Amino acid sequence: MLKYTLKRLLAGIITVWFIATATFIAMHQVPGDPLMNDKAVPPEIRKNLEKKYGLDKSVPEQYVIFLGNMLKGDFGISFTQQNRKVNDIIRDHFPVSATLGIMAIFIAAVGGVLWGALTALYRNRLPDIIIMFLVILGISVPSFVFAALGQLLLVNINSFFGYSILPVAGWGTFSHMIMPSLVLGLGTMALLTRLMRSSMLEIVNEDYIKTAKAKGLSPTRIFFRHQLRNAILPVITILGPQIAAITTGGFVVELVFAIPGLGRYFVQAVQQLDYTVIMGTTVFYGAFLVFMVIVVDILYGFIDPRVRLK
Amino acid sequence: MSDDILQVENLKVEFSTYGGTVKAVRGVSFSVERSKTLAIVGESGCGKSVSVQSIMGLIPMPPGRITSGSAKINGHEIIGLSAKEANKYRGVEIAMIFQDPMSSLNPTMTIGDQISETLMVHKGFSYKEASKQAVELLEKTHIPEAAKRAKQYPFEFSGGMLQRAMIAQSLACNPTILIADEPTTALDVTIQAQILELMSELQQSEGMSIVLITHDLAVVAKMADRVAVMYAGQVIEMGNVDEIFYQSSHPYTLGLKEAMPSNQKDKGKKLTPIAGSPPDLFSPPSGCAYYARCPYAMAICETQMPDEFLIATDGDKNNNQKDSDHYSRCWLQHPDSPQVDSLYQSGRTNVS
Repeated sequence: MLKYTLKRLLAGIITVWFIATATFIAMHQVPGDPLMNDKAVPPEIRKNLEKKYGLDKSVPEQYVIFLGNMLKGDFGISFTQQNRKVNDIIRDHFPVSATLGIMAIFIAAVGGVLWGALTALYRNRLPDIIIMFLVILGISVPSFVFAALGQLLLVNINSFFGYSILPVAGWGTFSHMIMPSLVLGLGTMALLTRLMRSSMLEIVNEDYIKTAKAKGLSPTRIFFRHQLRNAILPVITILGPQIAAITTGGFVVELVFAIPGLGRYFVQAVQQLDYTVIMGTTVFYGAFLVFMVIVVDILYGFIDPRVRLK
Repeated sequence: MSDDILQVENLKVEFSTYGGTVKAVRGVSFSVERSKTLAIVGESGCGKSVSVQSIMGLIPMPPGRITSGSAKINGHEIIGLSAKEANKYRGVEIAMIFQDPMSSLNPTMTIGDQISETLMVHKGFSYKEASKQAVELLEKTHIPEAAKRAKQYPFEFSGGMLQRAMIAQSLACNPTILIADEPTTALDVTIQAQILELMSELQQSEGMSIVLITHDLAVVAKMADRVAVMYAGQVIEMGNVDEIFYQSSHPYTLGLKEAMPSNQKDKGKKLTPIAGSPPDLFSPPSGCAYYARCPYAMAICETQMPDEFLIATDGDKNNNQKDSDHYSRCWLQHPDSPQVDSLYQSGRTNVS
């Protein structure tokens, strides 16, 4: 298990280095630079600025400096937000995005497993048909539509009762988090529901379920002890990439609900070609996702002994 | 006949499919005596497994349907029970082991936990008591280092060891009947012999009856006391093991024997397969199901289903003894039928 974990970590580090390099190269290939942005700067000031940010050096030199600073955990200062360190931006805003993402994943995972199991139990009967219809809806409708609809719903509910039950936008308290994380988790929940359903239906036909029946176990016991745990395995496999989708895909929802998350700064930085912020957030996101995938893999080992012991 | 533990009477099972209704089991009756072994033989798809699985309540319904029949354990009817009532018998009175031990055990539970689960559910044991008992059961099936093995998962076991674990699991509540659905088919030959050895050893020490489903006649010869030969959802010949082998009274039984390799006589002789394939059970023939493949077929065989004819013990069909329980569903056994020599010859030559 330890060897397995170490191997995964090493692969993770290589992946992150790869992401950093790819981002660096891609950014220097894009026409324009962060200093060309709003107003034309006189050439001498531009020279000074270039010197300050190290842009006057050759690209390979910049790459080495960038990697060196990255190893020290320093992503530099932002071009557009004066005197703000990239590390500060991440530190201030990532916890917000992470909280939102974790809540969304939690809702999606619990909901997906529950609904999936339910549809499998009621296969081809009314609850199954209704839920599967909603699942198709959840998969095909993009999250910003749900975000807008969610806000509209809250407005209507709040005005119906005459006072604010759940805030429509903003950030700060737990009640602020409920609707955005629900909206953010919806698509993943739909996906997981479908996966869980097919996985459950497959497992009903497994020989060991027959054995369990022949042992004279009650249907409830068979369901919880034999079916559920085995059916959950493929769901967990897909959870890693889904965490990626949710945390990076979160900025649309963040924007609609006016949540001060990292996603917004990320998009802004790309628009303004803010080199350091783009590099910092991309590498940070990349490292985060790689880490989450490893965590999921290790978690998988705990549920499936075949992974843990081999 | 009073010592029958399991009595199955006129069992009929159907499956509704898109293509129509498959009549998988068409009136099967058999009984199993205490501490004896009944072997059910026949080629694939003849209804062996479906028969016993419907007794155990393992047929998915729908599409499956038990249209008629009864099965009694010690006089208690077990067909048509609710899942809750059936669970008083399943795993307790009647236990089952399956063909492929690799897929018949839950891959995410330890072997020990899977065995102790039965004990906890049926006997109300605590987890600790049950785990201890599970190790004892594993020892009984000759699994070395049972205590260590109990904590392992199925993927850490070999096929033969898994089948031993399955047997240990089925023995948990001292069942009166063990149903073994092709228990050795998925195992290699040396392991097969060991598993069969183990089964007969446990039968003697525990005194349980065994229903053994197989298509291996060698296994039948080794294990069985009584044999039911099935074809197209019916028992076409039934008798004691010697009667079936040395006095085969149905052309199908004969055909099975001809198709079996032997290492004693007839060395170098080619095996004779039974030509053709079993009838379509969507619309089973009105006459004898074996008609189309039978080398001795007569006109009556096509239209009329043969009755069960009792076979006299010494092969003389005019001397019907009342107490014989060897019967065959074949018109050739009718007193008015022509004498077919090979049928009787094949029987006589081996009787010493």
